[in-house]
Amino acid sequence: MLKKARKERLIWLDIMITLLTLELMSYFYYGIRSVALAGVCVCTAVIAEIISLRMMNRRFTADDLTCTSDAMIIALMFPAVMDYKVAVIAVLFAVIVAKNVFGGRLNMIFSPAAAAYVFVLTSWGHQLLQYTEPHVKTGIFDTPTGLVNSASHNFNMTGNVDHTDFEILLGNFSGPCGAVSILLLVVAAIVLIFRRSISAGAFIGTVCGVGFFACVTPMINSRAGSLKYSLVMNMVLFAAIYIVSDIRIAPKRNYYAFFYGLFIGVISYVLVVTAAKENAIVIVSVLFTPIALGFKNLEKRIEKAASEHNADMSEALDAVADRKEIAADE
Amino acid sequence: MNSHRKNLLGGVLHDNIVLSGLMVISPVIICGDTLRNALALIYAFSAITFLAVLISSFVPKKLPYTAKIIIYALISAAVYIPVKLAAEEFYPDSIERIGIYYPLLAVNSLIVFQTEAKFFKMKKLDMMISLIFCIIGFDAVMLLTGFLRELFAYGTINSKIVDVNTLINGLSEPFGGFIFLGLMCGVYRFIRSLISKNDKQLRSEASVSDK
Amino acid sequence: MFLINDLITLLAANLILSQALGTSTIFIAAGSRKNLVGTACVITLFTTIGSAAAYCIDAALPSALSDLRLLFYTLIIGILYVLLLTAVYFAGRSYFEDFRKYIHVSAFNCAVMGTLFTINKRAAMDSSLFELGEYVSAGFEAGIGFIIAALILTAAYRKLNSSKVPSAFRGFPAMLVYLGIISMAVYSLK
Repeated sequence: MLKKARKERLIWLDIMITLLTLELMSYFYYGIRSVALAGVCVCTAVIAEIISLRMMNRRFTADDLTCTSDAMIIALMFPAVMDYKVAVIAVLFAVIVAKNVFGGRLNMIFSPAAAAYVFVLTSWGHQLLQYTEPHVKTGIFDTPTGLVNSASHNFNMTGNVDHTDFEILLGNFSGPCGAVSILLLVVAAIVLIFRRSISAGAFIGTVCGVGFFACVTPMINSRAGSLKYSLVMNMVLFAAIYIVSDIRIAPKRNYYAFFYGLFIGVISYVLVVTAAKENAIVIVSVLFTPIALGFKNLEKRIEKAASEHNADMSEALDAVADRKEIAADE
Repeated sequence: MNSHRKNLLGGVLHDNIVLSGLMVISPVIICGDTLRNALALIYAFSAITFLAVLISSFVPKKLPYTAKIIIYALISAAVYIPVKLAAEEFYPDSIERIGIYYPLLAVNSLIVFQTEAKFFKMKKLDMMISLIFCIIGFDAVMLLTGFLRELFAYGTINSKIVDVNTLINGLSEPFGGFIFLGLMCGVYRFIRSLISKNDKQLRSEASVSDK
Repeated sequence: MFLINDLITLLAANLILSQALGTSTIFIAAGSRKNLVGTACVITLFTTIGSAAAYCIDAALPSALSDLRLLFYTLIIGILYVLLLTAVYFAGRSYFEDFRKYIHVSAFNCAVMGTLFTINKRAAMDSSLFELGEYVSAGFEAGIGFIIAALILTAAYRKLNSSKVPSAFRGFPAMLVYLGIISMAVYSLK
């Protein structure tokens, strides 16, 4: 029990470190406003978690700090100049409605960050999908001006990306403040997979699903270009790491997690191609929750059948051993 | 005596048909997004249910279950016609706004199933009182839902603008209705459990003090 | 690719996720595999055959008497109810005891009546949909939509009724919130 608790905290620590590096990058591009947004989200999450745990007659422990990583993920999916009130409502939705109503971290059903993002998309869609250009710094209480569509939106609509590969790698293009630093995301993915802090199967499945369909039915003339941009645009990489491969949600066995990620990747790509749906992968990950739960139920049944089979085998072996002893005595 | 009182008056708080029985929830979820819609639904539900159950109470009890259910449904479908005609006079916009949920109120599970399961096992007077309180229970939930959803989704109360800072447009949609009703059910159950805990405590203290 | 789009369209038009029809019945259906199969099959039967009968009524009923539509729909559902009970009774008495509760629950259900009215509304708006084939396929699609929604709920049923869920939300309230979040995701795809 102690080992499992310790492992949960280490996973949380790994994820927070990667999120903090993304936040640092966001500060570089968007200034203090993005840090203030993250701060507001994290504080709201902690307060909401403490209150809801109290109401459930549970104590707030170090393991419950996972609410802070969910809040950071939400903050990094938003534009850096998002309205604080909307961010607070989103975090409250994530912590209370999408998580604690179902029993909290002991009984996770949805990814809180994904559910909150979809909630904001349906209620404040216009605000959510308007961004400032990189290096345009807005004060903490200033009203943002000069908002533009994201590079993903332009790519979905026109098939063009007006940024060099270098700019794309460093995140020097408009989009959600944490989802554009592609190089950092790749490094984060490698580190988290090797540390087993995210589901490797789900991550590889998502990337394979998007990549395969990007090659088979390319969005633009060049297959290589289609593959490249399909993975870096529309928050695919960010969602693949922090939402689809969330160990609390994804199936435990890599075999099932791979297919879970694969289907999410394929369907989100199809939505981008056919409906030009920006950041479709987040929506699809919420829709695929029943599939993840179905896989988990299947895993439990297999484990139960395996343990019953083992129990029967050991009983049978004991019975044989007993008979041999009796025969030897005679 | 207490349980008899609970049976009669429970329809509002203790055994609310929406929050406890989970009946007639579709109109609450889909149409309970404004106060105006809520009022139109309250009128329709109250009129149809009261009249339909009253008339259905004269159906002979000895008929087979299936026949009785069909007769109750036909009676409420017949009662719906004059109620709708009256609504066209007093709430002309409401019918178009509420759409298919208006006729669906006529075949709600309270009329079709609860009559047989609960109401017709009571005496006539008790049945009327219990029915009225069940209807009041639905009306209260509908009013509260319509009021809160309109306030936070549109920033209005009965179409009059109110100064609400941040609006949550999602609350006006079906998914907002689902989530809002789910949270309301949870809060209702929490309050009900607190009240029943208090009652038990009071009773146990009373029994100790008697000694 | 277009199959995936069709699936999303089917989800978007889903009875339960976008119109909240038959929500109480789906909670019964999700309780066990037996309930799921029984309720889903009966609802699909009612919606499919009911919609065929509804087409006949809509074709015969003059617009001046449109207020009588509910009465006629109730009548045909009542007739179907009796016919189905009779058919199951003669098909196998051993099945009858188990199966009849699904028929009782499904007959005068919001999902069934709502489907008939929804199809009628769509046909009124688009005259090309006023055909027997369109009515029957719409009724069948509604049944399939109910099955999909029931499967979505069944996947999470155990978790939603777990002892880890706070007692105030355990069961129906958590199911409503769960369906709400899935419905929200479907809505955002529109």
